[in-house]
Amino acid sequence: MVGQYDENLLSDMLPIYYAKLFPQNVFCRWLSCGNYPQPLGNRELSFTLSDDVYLRYLSINNQKELQTLFQKKCPYKLDIGAVYNTKPSIGRHDSIILARELVFDIDLTDYDEVRTCCKEAKVCGKCWKFMVIACEIIHTALRDDFGFQNILWVFSGRRGIHCWVSDHEARTLDSPGRSAIADYMCLITGGENQNKKVNLGNDNLHSSIRRAINIIEKYFKELLEDQEFLSTTERLSTFLKIIPDETLRHQIEKVLDKMPTSSLQRWESFVDIYNNYCKENVTAIRKMKHLIEEIMIQYCYPRLDINVTKGFNHLLKSPFSIHPKTGKVSIVFKPEFARDIKLDEVPTIYTLLDDASPENAQHQTNMRTAVKNFQEVVFSLEKTEALRRKKYGGNSMEF
Amino acid sequence: MDFNIRRKSTRTAISGSLIETYPHDLQMYKVPPTENITLQEFENLALERLTLLRTLATATTLKGLRLYSDEFTDFILSELKNNGLKYYVKLCEKSGCGSLETDLQARRKDHIAHFILRLAYCRTEDLRRWFITRELELFRMRFITMKAEALDAFFKINNLYYTNISDEEKSDIIINLRESTQHQNIEHMKFYKVKFYEVLDLVRSRKVFIKGGYAYIPHKDFISVLTAQYRTHLRQSLAIASQHLKEIEQDERIVCLLKGLHQSYSGNDYSDSKVVVPIESLDSLSLKSFPLCMRQLHEQLRLAHHLKHGGRLQYGLFLKGIGVTLEDSLRFWREEFTKIMEIDKFEKQYAYNVRYNYGKEGSKKNYSPFNCLKIINNNVGPGECHGCPFRHSDSSNLKNKLKGYGFEPQGISDVVDMAKKGHYQIACSKYFDLVHGTSIGLGINHPNQFYEESQKLQKGDIKIEPKKEVKNHSTKVEQTDLEDIDFDENLIKI
Repeated sequence: MVGQYDENLLSDMLPIYYAKLFPQNVFCRWLSCGNYPQPLGNRELSFTLSDDVYLRYLSINNQKELQTLFQKKCPYKLDIGAVYNTKPSIGRHDSIILARELVFDIDLTDYDEVRTCCKEAKVCGKCWKFMVIACEIIHTALRDDFGFQNILWVFSGRRGIHCWVSDHEARTLDSPGRSAIADYMCLITGGENQNKKVNLGNDNLHSSIRRAINIIEKYFKELLEDQEFLSTTERLSTFLKIIPDETLRHQIEKVLDKMPTSSLQRWESFVDIYNNYCKENVTAIRKMKHLIEEIMIQYCYPRLDINVTKGFNHLLKSPFSIHPKTGKVSIVFKPEFARDIKLDEVPTIYTLLDDASPENAQHQTNMRTAVKNFQEVVFSLEKTEALRRKKYGGNSMEF
Repeated sequence: MDFNIRRKSTRTAISGSLIETYPHDLQMYKVPPTENITLQEFENLALERLTLLRTLATATTLKGLRLYSDEFTDFILSELKNNGLKYYVKLCEKSGCGSLETDLQARRKDHIAHFILRLAYCRTEDLRRWFITRELELFRMRFITMKAEALDAFFKINNLYYTNISDEEKSDIIINLRESTQHQNIEHMKFYKVKFYEVLDLVRSRKVFIKGGYAYIPHKDFISVLTAQYRTHLRQSLAIASQHLKEIEQDERIVCLLKGLHQSYSGNDYSDSKVVVPIESLDSLSLKSFPLCMRQLHEQLRLAHHLKHGGRLQYGLFLKGIGVTLEDSLRFWREEFTKIMEIDKFEKQYAYNVRYNYGKEGSKKNYSPFNCLKIINNNVGPGECHGCPFRHSDSSNLKNKLKGYGFEPQGISDVVDMAKKGHYQIACSKYFDLVHGTSIGLGINHPNQFYEESQKLQKGDIKIEPKKEVKNHSTKVEQTDLEDIDFDENLIKI
């Protein structure tokens, strides 16, 4: 079992991990590419040390300096910030942010009001499916709608995923641009005081929403069975509160209450009742034309931490950083294989450095795959950047 | 696609004949005026445009009218008529390209006044933001009310040439256009391709089909491209203007006027409090003097011993604004949070934020409490309970909450009705009356204003010790005066 490892061992293990396993070379190439035309040294790195001390405004000029810094400080956590007009350690508060990957942060704790298998920091294979859906929906939107090509997906190390878009257009996008993309993607709004958190209006569904629904549909039955959204009295009552029409709500409550507790069956009867009700009440449909879709979204659509996306200077955990609480590596994965990720097969620093561990071989392989995934994204980014510079920046090829 | 608006070739055109300078009612204000005008005219033009911009602000924030709706435009026009601003009525009602002398004079005044206010509003970030928002509303309203011929002329005059997508390209995506564009008769419209970041407002609200980084828009939606460009242009111009303020301010006659103009509208930002409020009194204050948004945060904090980031920010800054000191604030949050967590965790993860709000960490800015507009437009996510309760609550939840406070049913339904109609600030004003048993119909645009008005009403009921050291005494007195003026202006009749 993984859990028995001691956090105190980290300070001994991290230097070895950084020297032997952390893909320093690819990491520096990735950042350099994302920095262009600013030098690597203008990028802010931030370390969290063993005693929760934050070191901000660090920077490195090359891989060698990275290695030295790692050995000297032994960070428990490594975060990446923005690209400034000067070395961030010099400019500090006065320096200007020039670029920053467009980032997305999805955390399972934001699903606590819908997931039933785990709460807070816990995750299991069942709730990981929320992440699978999120990844597919966001990746498709970024690629098809916004035309971005260099998209990196990273497991955050505990209960979420991060997405880094490195296309030049994304990196240099201003705050209003970032916030517009975030709002475009964000369908679930409303806090504790709103029961119905999705409102799609009465017009046609926007193409991107239609597509998201199609993605959710692929997983919806499975999730209903995994999560049993409607099986207990409490869950049912939360569900009923979403339905805006009182008559319909009572009808549904009466029927579902008497049914077996299977959420899948309950959901199917709900859909039937809703459809019949709308057939009989033409006015009702005008008020809740997309109710089915709205509920599916409320239960399954990605819940973004939009402040991370909107902010230009939000620090975000680096790929291949170790999560200090779980010891897990923030591995890079391919979005099309998000489904295949098994949480207990994510390599941890303990198993990677312990030859005797039964998971060692498996985790070594997975680590290599993760580094390969990272390389692929970085190489393709370098290629597109080279092409772009050839096309636009003939005179700015000074390095 | 080339979508650059070329500058008028020379500046001398401005001093040429009026019809050449001002061919169209709607301008993009690219070139500043260069003629000489009297000080009297300078002042009049400035004040008249200020009236116009304030009317726009009143329409949305205090009257709660939906932007660019018919009621909105009607309200603006009737207010302008009441104020005797005929030339603005003319420019706003039916923008065209007539060539009568009155047309030309109206455009000339519009042009000059716009540039005068740029000088008055370039001073601080807040003023710039206010000015840009209003000018954009004005521009958009005038664009929308423009007739078809005038529209074509406008595009021609401003050198806006572009080509539409081919029929094949259009038929490939016609289903998407129908789904994602909110217009009728898509079949008969020509569509144009622009980068998605040129029409961010459409992207944000999902009112445009985007594919591969391009947004597909019909002719009508070009207003989005124009406003985006106009916004960028204004922002840059104001930044440049603020750098040159010193040169202008050498002329004393203008300085007073310019400074007076924006000050008469800036109001108080409540970033410095003149009194000290002990945290022990927060429970009782929250019942009567806190607006509902803060009362519910306070209750949530007492109940769950925790608030999410958005809530801590909104409530923390409010508390600073009413006069809770940093030390008290730290103690207040610590006492609650440590009921569910180790003190160590609080000090490490949360104390920083409290000090940050007071300008003691990070960029060390003295942050001002959020106003209503900001709170209303805030994003409220799952598990959060900040924001404006009149906007971010289901009406049934709002109703239950007010019932729980023991208000009478008629009053409750007045509040809920206003909230339902989207008049959040008016709902808040009704809530104020409900709590105080009054019928003042106060115009509320800041939670701290709610608090101060409530305190004024109950003067003497609650003891407030004056703050010991009051620096910059004179400026503060000035601010208080301004505050009063501002609130009087905001009194509205319902």
